[in-house]
Amino acid sequence: MQNNIPTPTHRLDMQTEPCPYPAIKTIEALRELGDDDILEVISDCPQSINNIPIDVKKHGYKLLHIDSSSPSVRYFVKR
Amino acid sequence: MSITHELKKMLISFWKPTPAVIALGVLSVYYFGITGTYWAVTGEFTRWGGHILESLGVDISDWGYFNIMGMKGNSLTRVDGVMIIGMFGGIIAATLWGNKLKFRLPASRIRIYQALIGGIIAGFGARLGMGCNLASLFTGIPQFSAHAWFFTIAMIVGVYFGVKFTQLKLFRSKIQMQKISCDVPQVMQKDSAKGFFTFGTIVFSLIIVWALYLIFFVGSTKLGIAMLFGSAFGLIIAKAQICFTSAFRDLFITGRSQMSRAIVIAMAVSTIGIFSYIMIGVAPKIMWAGPNTIIGGALFGFGIVVAGGCECGWMYRAVEGQTHFWIVGIGNVIGATLLAFVWDDIAPIVATSWPKINLLESFGAYGGLLFNYLLLFLLFLLILKIEKNYSNKLKAENYAK
Repeated sequence: MQNNIPTPTHRLDMQTEPCPYPAIKTIEALRELGDDDILEVISDCPQSINNIPIDVKKHGYKLLHIDSSSPSVRYFVKR
Repeated sequence: MSITHELKKMLISFWKPTPAVIALGVLSVYYFGITGTYWAVTGEFTRWGGHILESLGVDISDWGYFNIMGMKGNSLTRVDGVMIIGMFGGIIAATLWGNKLKFRLPASRIRIYQALIGGIIAGFGARLGMGCNLASLFTGIPQFSAHAWFFTIAMIVGVYFGVKFTQLKLFRSKIQMQKISCDVPQVMQKDSAKGFFTFGTIVFSLIIVWALYLIFFVGSTKLGIAMLFGSAFGLIIAKAQICFTSAFRDLFITGRSQMSRAIVIAMAVSTIGIFSYIMIGVAPKIMWAGPNTIIGGALFGFGIVVAGGCECGWMYRAVEGQTHFWIVGIGNVIGATLLAFVWDDIAPIVATSWPKINLLESFGAYGGLLFNYLLLFLLFLLILKIEKNYSNKLKAENYAK
């Protein structure tokens, strides 16, 4: 599993913030990134599993990987 | 891969939300058919408020609202009470199986006020409108009670204003993105997962044994069945992270319609199911279609967005260790109790003098059925329209850049 995780260039640690803030901030952060940047979003709002992946794709960005094995879910996304 | 491994994987991972919501709709129909009662949680929370007042020495015997709710017995002897115990059982199991237990403190003081004040507004509004979104979406609308339609439409308007309000700068998250030069591995809470999983299995087994004991040894069939249903409801909302608040809120914020579409489909499925039970003589629950449902729905919609969760959403988040939602829960009970306090003064004006409208009586059985489906279809179109508006706005913004 560990091998599949891309190496991020940026991190958005949204732990302690409830939904929808993690999803909103993810979209805002992606707008600032360059084409080769990879963003790691960490959210301990498990409900983000139903919003971050969909919102990222809906806004035209790419979802690379999700690690949901621990209480804080990690999303790897890029432009 | 062994069967136990496959089963375990299923219990660890998240479940897909759309089938989960439809399953909840189907289950709520059978819950109604078998027990004659409705899947709802706020009524019982209101009774908790009443019991707290009683324990403080307040005489609530002449409070009209508590008389409507029925204060007899306690959480262990009331159908709603044991259903909620079952829900908590299912939620605890889902949380432990998925390794989602973590003590989280609110991010800032603003969030604490949001949780408490939003929780109070939502609790007050829900009870004013005779039930939260569960009572409207999974009970009221499929049971052809016009009040639930008023409540739902007003709720969507309330959600819209809640979204506008919480997008003010004051409420925005202060967290900033960090640039990282090398991959600093985050310390993750993984080691305890195995112990948690076993503990989750124990909790779920205990709830099932308790329910079966009620059915086969105590003879309280209805209580036992309610507990079994509750455990399934709880398991599903927690495993699929069902958030009814997000359904219409996120439609406005990020143009995501997945949950709201799923809810309309679930209502369409449960409508025909409930209809079949009503046709063979089970009595539906019809409430007053007065201004109380519109005011209550709008307050509820606004409150749940400010708080970040509704009456059933806070339950699984509170269990996961999100202290934010402990406060929302407390706010809900306070809000419901406040409503009970003012009910006798406002009820004749806004509620009890208004008619209870049963669509099956207003339009005839099949006319009412058709009318309900027509309204559901219009609601579905409204969702698609709001989603489309968001996409168009997004395209215009991208084009401008």
